[in-house]
Amino acid sequence: MSLKIQIIVAALVVLALLFIANMVRKETLDIRFALSWLTVGGVVLVLDLFPGIMNYLVHLLGIELPVNMMFFFGFCFTLLLLFSLTVKVSRQAEQLKRLTQEIALLEERMENQNRAGAAAGFDDKK
Amino acid sequence: MSKTGKPAERMVRKLVIIPAYNEQGGIERTVRDILEHAPDFDYVVVNDCSTDQTLEVCRKNGFHVINLPVNLGIGGGVQTGYAYAWRNGYDIAVQFDGDGQHNAKYLDAMADKLLSGNLDMVIGSRYIKKEGFQSTGIRRLGIRYFTALIRLITGQKITDPTSGMRMAGREVIGLYAKNYPKDYPEPESVVAILKKGGRVDEIPVQMNAREEGVSSISPAKSVYYMIKVTLAILIAAVRR
Repeated sequence: MSLKIQIIVAALVVLALLFIANMVRKETLDIRFALSWLTVGGVVLVLDLFPGIMNYLVHLLGIELPVNMMFFFGFCFTLLLLFSLTVKVSRQAEQLKRLTQEIALLEERMENQNRAGAAAGFDDKK
Repeated sequence: MSKTGKPAERMVRKLVIIPAYNEQGGIERTVRDILEHAPDFDYVVVNDCSTDQTLEVCRKNGFHVINLPVNLGIGGGVQTGYAYAWRNGYDIAVQFDGDGQHNAKYLDAMADKLLSGNLDMVIGSRYIKKEGFQSTGIRRLGIRYFTALIRLITGQKITDPTSGMRMAGREVIGLYAKNYPKDYPEPESVVAILKKGGRVDEIPVQMNAREEGVSSISPAKSVYYMIKVTLAILIAAVRR
């Protein structure tokens, strides 16, 4: 890996990390979700600055090319993240459904009370 | 499961749940049918955020409506009705389509069957006497497949597992208020009751061909439907 590439990658990763940190600061990104991305950025940065680690890992795992390892782990990470997101979406769908039902049931009860009140000759303020 | 106490001394409180999504053309006739042919039943229309005039038609006629602010689909809508029935102390709740497919004249017979048989659920089945609208051939084939699958898993023959005309006792109302499938809920939720030891039976009913609205199951969705419901039934079978 040439020094030039190393510097470009490091700069990009640092920019991305700053971007994520800023979003957390502005509270547009929940820190719980930011953590996994910050971790990925950190790992890429370390591997970029110390190429020896990657060469060692590649050798250890018996992988031919470092780039193959990056693809493999990148793919695994993406799958994991996607799966955790579908789990979260499922839970939120259930929560949204409950909330929607509660609102509808509350509204029905209010209407019912108003109607009963009106029938008994009281106004809503009673 | 068994009934807690005999509700015979006091009035049995019965509710018709009418899920309605874009049923402006059929909802009025549906409610009038219930008012006329099942006067012992209370009813509630669950308007699932219709984009047509369903809500306006109900308001104009002074119908009892629960209005969902967001579209939840058939499962979430029906479940809202069960939650309402549960909280308001109903002994019996029955689902009844808002598109004119179902006939209210069978509701009393269903309730009699539920109470006299000490059952947890009674399904209105098109396929016992095979009278009235029988659905299209390919759908009947799908329904037979589900009948066979449910029989294999629970040992009980449900001739019309996709029927949307189903009456539940108090315990099932409570279960459904807590847990109910989101889409294509009928076969799966019957299996859930059977697996919990619930007593389910059917009575013959006639249904009408849909006059208003369109089926929620388009041909393109039917493959998804078969796979999803099969999987859901298998999962319901191992859920405890």
